[in-house]
Amino acid sequence: MKKLLLVSLCFLVLCITQVFAQNRTVTGTVTAKEDGLPIPGVTVKIKGTSVGGVPTDVNGKYSISAPVGSTLVFSFISYLPKEAVVTSNGVINVTLEQDNKQLSEVVVTALGVNREKKTLGYAQNTVKSAEINKSSSINLLGGLQGKVAGVNISNVSGASGGSTKIILRGYTSLTGSNQPLYIIDGVPLNNSRPGSDDNFDFGNNANDIDPNNIDNISFLMGSAASAIYGSRGSNGVVIITTKKGKAGKPVIDFTSGTTITSVGYVYQPQTEFGQGWDAHFVLGENGNWGPKYTGQLQPWGAIVDNTQLLKPFSAVKNNITDAFDKGIETNNNIAISGGSDASTYRITYGNIYSNGVLPGDADKYSRNDFSLRGSTNYKNLTIDASMAYNAKNGDYLATGQGPTGVGTTFYENILQIPNDIPIKDLRDYNNKYFNVDNYYTPYAENPYYNLYENGSHFKSDHIIGNINLTYKINSWFSLQFQQGADINNAADKIWFNTNSPTPGSWVGGGNTEGAVRKPDVGAVIEESHQTYEYDSKLQGLFAKKFNSDFDLNGLIGVNFNDRGSRDLSTSVQGLAIPGFYQLSNSVNKPSSTEAEFHQRLLGFYAQGTLGYKDYLFATLTGRNDITSTLGINHNSYFYPSASLAYVLSQALDLKSSTLSYVKLRASYGETGSDTNPYNINNVLTATNIALGFGNLAFPFQGVPGFTQSNLLLSPDLKPERVKEYELGGEIRFFDDRLGFDATYYQKTRQDQILPVAVSPGSGYLTQQVNFGTVRARGIELAVNATPVKSRLVNWNMTYTFSHNKSIVTSLPPGLDKLNLNQDGYGGFLVAVKGQPLGLLQAPVPLYDPNGHIVVDAQGFPKAAPSNGTYGTFQHDFVMGWSNNVKVDNFTLGFTVEWDKGGKFYSGTADLFNFVGADPKTTYNDRNPFIVPNSVQAVTDASGKTTGYVENTTPITEANTDDYYYTTSNKAQAWSRDILDRSFVKLREVTLSYSFPKLVASKIGASSAMISLFGRNLYTWLPAGNHVVDPEVSNYGTDLASEYGEFRTAPPLKYYGASLKVSF
Amino acid sequence: MKRDNFNIKTTLLLALTIVSFGCKKITDINVSPNNPSIDKATPQVLFPSAVMSTAGEVGGELDIIGGIWSQYWTQSVTAAQFKTIDAYNLQRQDFNGGYNGLMSGALADYQLAITKAKATGQNQFLLMNTVMKAYTYEVLVDLYDQVPYTEAFQGAANLQPKFDDGFFIYKSLITEIDSALAKNYNVVLSDADAKVDFLFGSDPGSQMDNWRKFANTLKLKMYLRMVNTHATDAEAGVKALYAANADFLDGDAAVNVFTDATDQRNPIEEYTVFNLGGNDLRASNTFVSWLKAHGDPRIKNYYGTANPTPIDQGFYTATQAAHPSYYTATAPNLAATDPVYFITTAESYFLQSEAALRYGVGDAKSLFDQGVTAAFDQYGLTKPADAVYSYPASADLQTNLKAIIYQKWASYPNSHCLEGFFDQERTGYPENSTVYSTDAGYIPGQWVFSKNGVTGGRFPKRLVFPDSERSRNKNTPAEVPITQPVWWGLPNK
Repeated sequence: MKKLLLVSLCFLVLCITQVFAQNRTVTGTVTAKEDGLPIPGVTVKIKGTSVGGVPTDVNGKYSISAPVGSTLVFSFISYLPKEAVVTSNGVINVTLEQDNKQLSEVVVTALGVNREKKTLGYAQNTVKSAEINKSSSINLLGGLQGKVAGVNISNVSGASGGSTKIILRGYTSLTGSNQPLYIIDGVPLNNSRPGSDDNFDFGNNANDIDPNNIDNISFLMGSAASAIYGSRGSNGVVIITTKKGKAGKPVIDFTSGTTITSVGYVYQPQTEFGQGWDAHFVLGENGNWGPKYTGQLQPWGAIVDNTQLLKPFSAVKNNITDAFDKGIETNNNIAISGGSDASTYRITYGNIYSNGVLPGDADKYSRNDFSLRGSTNYKNLTIDASMAYNAKNGDYLATGQGPTGVGTTFYENILQIPNDIPIKDLRDYNNKYFNVDNYYTPYAENPYYNLYENGSHFKSDHIIGNINLTYKINSWFSLQFQQGADINNAADKIWFNTNSPTPGSWVGGGNTEGAVRKPDVGAVIEESHQTYEYDSKLQGLFAKKFNSDFDLNGLIGVNFNDRGSRDLSTSVQGLAIPGFYQLSNSVNKPSSTEAEFHQRLLGFYAQGTLGYKDYLFATLTGRNDITSTLGINHNSYFYPSASLAYVLSQALDLKSSTLSYVKLRASYGETGSDTNPYNINNVLTATNIALGFGNLAFPFQGVPGFTQSNLLLSPDLKPERVKEYELGGEIRFFDDRLGFDATYYQKTRQDQILPVAVSPGSGYLTQQVNFGTVRARGIELAVNATPVKSRLVNWNMTYTFSHNKSIVTSLPPGLDKLNLNQDGYGGFLVAVKGQPLGLLQAPVPLYDPNGHIVVDAQGFPKAAPSNGTYGTFQHDFVMGWSNNVKVDNFTLGFTVEWDKGGKFYSGTADLFNFVGADPKTTYNDRNPFIVPNSVQAVTDASGKTTGYVENTTPITEANTDDYYYTTSNKAQAWSRDILDRSFVKLREVTLSYSFPKLVASKIGASSAMISLFGRNLYTWLPAGNHVVDPEVSNYGTDLASEYGEFRTAPPLKYYGASLKVSF
Repeated sequence: MKRDNFNIKTTLLLALTIVSFGCKKITDINVSPNNPSIDKATPQVLFPSAVMSTAGEVGGELDIIGGIWSQYWTQSVTAAQFKTIDAYNLQRQDFNGGYNGLMSGALADYQLAITKAKATGQNQFLLMNTVMKAYTYEVLVDLYDQVPYTEAFQGAANLQPKFDDGFFIYKSLITEIDSALAKNYNVVLSDADAKVDFLFGSDPGSQMDNWRKFANTLKLKMYLRMVNTHATDAEAGVKALYAANADFLDGDAAVNVFTDATDQRNPIEEYTVFNLGGNDLRASNTFVSWLKAHGDPRIKNYYGTANPTPIDQGFYTATQAAHPSYYTATAPNLAATDPVYFITTAESYFLQSEAALRYGVGDAKSLFDQGVTAAFDQYGLTKPADAVYSYPASADLQTNLKAIIYQKWASYPNSHCLEGFFDQERTGYPENSTVYSTDAGYIPGQWVFSKNGVTGGRFPKRLVFPDSERSRNKNTPAEVPITQPVWWGLPNK
């Protein structure tokens, strides 16, 4: 009814206009200044009237009836509006110029609502497609490292298709997830890493999204911004909006990139001492503990058929780098889009292929992406639907420590090759000197055996889709229903070949030390992983201007989310026929495990923004969730947020030639979050006894065994709470050529749901409790500047700085620390009350009251009874500097990132020291030495220490190697394994050339651009870290990963070229 | 306006439908499909699990410590895994697995099974679980001196249980055994229920008799532990056993279900050979020299060769130039199918022989002979002629005791090593050598202080309280040196 009324009103108004003015029909074409192409959908309106104008058609043409002398306003999103006076001529052609200022920037906010950025009372960063795809990254976020303040992005593994870790505003969750929520076109994405563990990184699901299809990504940093997303929004939200078709004739966009990859930072072994142990040359040893290099030719390796190989006894140059090859990555995408006034479409196909830096096919990766997006309007109904399917196939090599007794890993074996042995030569792993029987040492295996005989394959089929119906009920209220689905079907297979050195062969005991390498029994593991997530929401959206001063817009809605997973894993050890990888090929019976999870969440929410005179905006939100995962008394919880945006420059009319924009922001937000399914009722588990190394698993002789779970659960678990406030502002000068955006925030996560270690005497090892508070405080600063702006040269730069400090402010009573991660030897990542989150604690030397190191009878430092603190993983600051210099048709861009401070543990360093490769192990030229500043304890008959005397017992030459090994010098091992996390990286360099229109049109293209690019081209590490890039980790992508790495793969460098053409 | 109302109504109706549908469904789906609820536990599923936990620790990590500290084995010169054990350099963070596994793995399950068995009147399972609980607790008390007992296994009701004194725990365990023995337990179990008993279930007819014998032998062992510090209790307890005509084990109390298959192997073999590649443990000259001195044929069973190459205890830092033979030293002969022994037949006779020696409750010589015979029977061998295999029948208690304990020591490898360490702490046999085993004056078999020992010439006598308790339980007693004997040990000289 109301609508009818409105329409009648419109007619009436039109009639009135007709009555009062001498009208004529004005026609014309609206084109874009940049490319001269027509712009469809531009609103053409008569100035001063409240009547809706007419849109331009697909050819940019319009026709409107207007009185002569009146003014037409041409407006279109992201273009500067233009006005033109109607003359009797009747033809007005207009060119619109793109609006580079952010004054009226429209951004996607929570729940997919487009809002002008100036109305937001919180920090939000948006990056556009061009920035995301500048260097042809195959990962969604791979091209954004160092570019956005407060957004920390790192590639944790060198493999193509490996996981990307993203953390917004630091860590606050001790044992839960710190991962942001990904929302793609309004529906949540399951960002799990199916099948991944410390040995294999098969990538996270968000990486499946083809970056070529992304229109923009918004990062909602704080709770006020994300509160309305509910339980999963507490770590911030990454909102991904895919590209849509535009009305107009069909446009074909083609992009193609080819990238060469090579290893980035690799460890740098010492070059003074060669193969051997205990200061002697030993043919079969896997250490660099031999004599000094002589440069003389000498035999090495196994004695086979009474012959031996010969090589100079000297360090091999680029030994590690040469162990790898160069890799290649291709990234092609074609998109066809277009549409009419009522409907649009966009169809894309993308193909990614990569063969990584490992020789052979051990790290191949391919992905095919298909996507469809379409929208249509029928009267008041708008239907928008999208669907993306991607098929992923990858081969991955194990990192870390191999499954003991079953097989070993490439990276652990490569570390154990003395630096005088040319690693590259060992590639011929079937050669009689390098094969299973005659590899030079019985203490390790040929890494290339691992490369060619062991491996894994991962494949997944991933579908994300949604349908969105919007019905405009009247001018200020519309109803929206959206149904999303995210379904992933993944499977992986892992295999280790079996081998057994022939008794009496070099490796089978014929070496000079008589050592025998035990056989690898081999294994096959087959796994399937299914995840599903269905998300429905029904919401009413309203926007109403009350009078010239006040306007209100907001929404009210209900959301139902249903998600779960199913995993099945079957494995068998002990291959019968070597080289045949099938569950049936074993002397043993396969064993299987399955796990299913299912959870539901129902949420009610509302949000309203009241605007005053277009410069003051107040937003309130509230949400109540009901979850399936908490007990009936705690499963419903409410949380609110409020924010205020005040555009000072507009309110006080401060605008001048110097000062162009001032805005202040303030917000407070709360979020709550539930727990994982099945986390409140105590259970039994099928018994599997971990022995330290190896396991005992039931059934035994047909007898099953179940044990009380070691995790104590309780239905009294409450939801977690995050409370966050932030203050910020933006100020811009000189017609926006210099801008500052600063934010200060404090985020507190309390009632954390975490498994806390308890006394084994209680019958349990851990208890799931609500406790623990972490407070993160930080600042984010972005400076945007345009130092040069001329017709020929345009130089933009962005500097970002962020600092976050997360402090543990409370832990459960009686618990002085919480274990977050650990290495296998005795070092830990812990949370300690009153301390920065994530302290690295490990054994430290015992000191006497005067600060001398206490040594034992052998002269080795004694370890103190308690572990000491080596520092926190947290950086002091992270800064990035991005530049874009446009000279005519050339654009040069580069980004540098500097992460300063923090520590990490390196399992590579541990082995690197054990084998005497670390330059640190050449201390005192490896001559006997007395531990500096050391004493020995004097004890009485009962063993009590009565005093200290100066230590005179040296570390002998034969004991020097033990001095650098974890078990024999536990007191000091971590001082060499815990390293400075700082780095400076040249993240990205791009040089692109846009062909002039004229040239492009010769091939029928409307635009064409070629680019040369590089990523991670240079890495600078501080002194003391000769070992590993601190960004890599094989401990996952959350807080635990910040402990460091355990013998993982090196990072990669990328350089390549790309072509983008639009027809 | 009418239109608006309609829409609001529709919205509300839709919302309400979802709510009513959702709320009901929401609360229903949180029951784990992956794990049975705790109230589904029965003694039948708990008991085998708990027994395997005991076997996994006693025959695994603790067997490694026992084997090195009893000087059967030492750390290899070409590997590094057990240097801290061989140097007596164990600290609170080291080897917590044994403690955690026995406490929250084995004992928590025995306790739950006892509760369930009492509730359902399954007296057989009550006795079986009680005896295994006592056996498992005894190992912990012997290693740590004090552990939580009266306040243990209460879950959320007591997360920081107090530690009880070892002697008190011993007495309480004996009371628990007596109370289980007082029940009518001797009813033959169904075949299905008998099968879950890895120790004696293969012969259901004598299964419960064997459990009684195991209970009595365990009590005898516990009383004999008290001889140094609670002599009166020890004597009274032993005499009461004999007065009640207690029968003792005449077969092995052992878990003998291991096969050479994934996760089914003997625990120390799985741990050190299958997973660590067998590079870490080597024959110790202490034991090898004794076996060779007496022509003991078991040397081949223990080391796989009649002429093993040993390493002197703890000399893992020796260079190849100085000690080339160390680099080809012999590894222990561990097999995936070896049983894990809780009490062997031989041990039962040796315990009875010691009781007879001390309290005149039997014929010490004949029991000694039965012990030696049983020990050699274990490997299908007969004892050699050497004098050490004959009972001295001396008037001096120590002479006789020394003979018994040396024979016990020689019988424990490969999967029962911890007992050799306990016997030495209790009796002082084998004696501590005054010289290192490379010295010409070294007497074969005497224990030498590890070449790399860090405790100033004092031998280890216990483990320090584990970090898993220290860091979580404020009732953990103050730390004492690893060289201080536990409550029943011979005092340090």
